[in-house]
Amino acid sequence: MLHNYLTLALKVLRRKPFYTFISLFGISFTLMILMVLTSLFDAGLGKNQPLTKRDYLVVSPYAERSRTEPDTMLVIDTLTLAGGEVRYDTTEEIAQNVVSNSIGPMSYRFIMDNLVDLESAERVAIYSDGDFTDGFIDGRKFTFSSYYTNADYWRVLDFDFLYGAPFNEADIEAAAQKVVLTDKAARIYFGELGPDLIGREMALGRRTFTVAGIVSRPLADSPMFGGDIYLPVTTADARALASNEIDGGFSAIFEATSPRGRQAIKDEIEFISQNFQFPPESDYNGLRVSSATVIEGYAMATVQEQDPQKALRVLFIPLSILVLLFVALPLINLINLNVSRVFERRSEIGVRKAFGAEPRDILYQFIFENLVITVIGGAIGLLLAILLISYVNANDLLGITRLSLSYQVVFYYLLVILLFGLLSGLLPAYRVSRTNVAAALRG
Amino acid sequence: MIQLSNISKSYRTDTIETLALQHLNLTVPAGEFLSIMGPSGCGKSTLLNIMGLIDEPSEGQVVLAGQEVTHYNGRRMARFRNEQLGFIFQSFHLINDLSVVDNVELPLLYRKVGSKERKRRSLDALEHVGLSNRAYHFPNQLSGGQKQRVAIARAIVGRPNILLADEPTGNLDSHMGDEIMQILLRLNQDLGTTIVMVTHDERMARKTHRLVRLSDGERVS
Repeated sequence: MLHNYLTLALKVLRRKPFYTFISLFGISFTLMILMVLTSLFDAGLGKNQPLTKRDYLVVSPYAERSRTEPDTMLVIDTLTLAGGEVRYDTTEEIAQNVVSNSIGPMSYRFIMDNLVDLESAERVAIYSDGDFTDGFIDGRKFTFSSYYTNADYWRVLDFDFLYGAPFNEADIEAAAQKVVLTDKAARIYFGELGPDLIGREMALGRRTFTVAGIVSRPLADSPMFGGDIYLPVTTADARALASNEIDGGFSAIFEATSPRGRQAIKDEIEFISQNFQFPPESDYNGLRVSSATVIEGYAMATVQEQDPQKALRVLFIPLSILVLLFVALPLINLINLNVSRVFERRSEIGVRKAFGAEPRDILYQFIFENLVITVIGGAIGLLLAILLISYVNANDLLGITRLSLSYQVVFYYLLVILLFGLLSGLLPAYRVSRTNVAAALRG
Repeated sequence: MIQLSNISKSYRTDTIETLALQHLNLTVPAGEFLSIMGPSGCGKSTLLNIMGLIDEPSEGQVVLAGQEVTHYNGRRMARFRNEQLGFIFQSFHLINDLSVVDNVELPLLYRKVGSKERKRRSLDALEHVGLSNRAYHFPNQLSGGQKQRVAIARAIVGRPNILLADEPTGNLDSHMGDEIMQILLRLNQDLGTTIVMVTHDERMARKTHRLVRLSDGERVS
C-alpha cells in the first residue's frame, strides 16, 4: 500500500516539475528560516553550556535604589459664603512619590552581607562584568573583557573546560593570581591552543597571572558570561571590594534546588529588599534587588523593561505573531496549490472509489503524498540551514553569537515539518476524499 | 443475480427536475451476459451506476447477490463494490503514473492482501487478458485495445461476481472491439461472471444473451 502511494507520489512530483519546484521552494525556504531562528534562540536561551542549569537559576543583575517622599495634596471641595463668613470642605491625599532613583549592579560587600546566605539558594555565583584588562606579550598589547568571579560561579555555570580547571575557594581566599580564559582569548594571546598552556603565565595589567583553565567560548553573548578572561574576585581592585555603598560592579546568580525553588529565592530577595535598613545619612529609603529567571532576564535585557512579566510579553507576543504569519503564508500557498493539484486527479479518485476505496483511504493517500513532498522540502531546508549557519559562524556575522544545530533544534524542526505536511495536506485531501464517484468518472 | 425493482432516478437543478429513470424493473440472473442499448441520454449509464452502487436511486430497491443494498452506508457500499463488483469504462480510466501491474492490483489494495499475493494475482489477471508481457509498461505506452484489456484485468483481479461495462468498445476500432468482446464472452463462459454491458453497437449487443432497450428512462424491450 505505502509502496504504491510512494511510487505515485514521486511520479506526480516528477510529472509537474514547476509545481514541485514552487512547493519545494516555499517549504524549504520557510523551514530554513525557521531553523535558523530556532537556532538563534537556542544559542541565547537554550540549555547549552554554560547554562545547562538554566531552569534552576535566578539572576539578579542589579538593584534599584529609590527615594520616596510623602506628597500631600489638599483639595478644596466646596466653598460657601455664609453670613459674611467663608467656609470650605477639603480632602487631603497623601501619596508616596518617588523623587529619585538609581539602578545598577551591586557592590561586592552588599552581596556578601545580604544575599549570599539565602536559605532557599543552593549556591550563589558572584561576578563583575564590564571591565577591560590589557594583556601584554612579546611587546604586543591585547585588550580583554575581564570578569571577576567567586568560586561558585564555576559551579552555577557549567562552562566546558577544554583544559585545566577553575579556581577554587582556597584560591579566592588567598587571592591567587590565576586566570581562566576562553579558547579564543588563548589563541589570540598565545597564538596556539593546547593542554600545555595550563601553568603558563599571562601579563595582565601590572600583574602576572597563571593560566588555570581554558573554556570553550559559549554560543551566545550574555552579560552573565561575556568575558575573554575570568579572574578570582579577590584580585579585583581593593577599593571596589571594600566599598560600603549598595551600588558597585557586581551581580549575582542564585541556583535553586529545583526549578520550582526559584520562586522561593525570588520571595526571599523581595523580603530582603523590603526590610533593608538604609543608614540614616543615605539619600535613599527604598530598595529593590532584581530577580528573574534566565529567560525573563533575557527578555528584560532585550526589550529594556524591568518588569519580568511585561518584558516576556513585549518580546514574545509580537515575535510569535511574526513567526506565525511567516509560516502561514507558504502554508496557505501550499494548500492552494494542493487543492488545484488534487482536482486534476478526479478521475483517479473516482476509479479508486469505484473499486472500493473509502473516503479515509483517499484522505490517507493524499496526506501521505503531501508528507512526502514536505519531507523532501524539509531535507533541502535542513541542508540550506546547515550551509547558512556554517556561513554565519565562519564569518562571525552575528558577532559573538554562534549558531548551532542541537538535538533539540533538529527535534523541533522535525515536528514543524510533520505539522506543516499534515496541515497543508489535510484540507485538500479532505475535500477530495468526498468526491462523488459518478461525477468524477463522467468528467 | 441483480434485481432492480421500481427504480426511478431524478436529477434536480435550480429550476428543472430531470427524470433519468422511471419505474424501471430489471432482473439479471447470475451468469447472464446482458446488454443495454438506447439513444444517448436515455439513462443507460445512470442505470449501470445504480447497479454499481456509485449512484443512488431516488426511488426503488436494488438487490445484488441476494443482498438488499439500497440503503447501505458509504462504508458498506465501498466494501461491497470492492468484493462483488468490477467496472470497465469507455475511457479506460487507468492511472497513467502507475505501471500496468500496479494499475491492476488497485482493487486488492483496499483489501488486506499482502504485496506478493497482490502481484501474483495481478499477473494472473493480466495473463487472462493476454497482456502478461506488458506488466511493467505504462498506460501511455499501450494501444487503446491494450489499455482496455488492462482495465478488464483490473476489473477481474478481485474475482467479482458481477462485471459492469460502460461502452467498453466505444473508443476502439471494430477489430480491437471484437477482441475485447471475445475476452468478455470468455469470462462469462469460463468463470460464470454476470456481465451487464452498456453499448451503442448493435453488432456487439447481438453477441450477448439478452438485450434490453431503454428510451427516455423507460424499458422499451
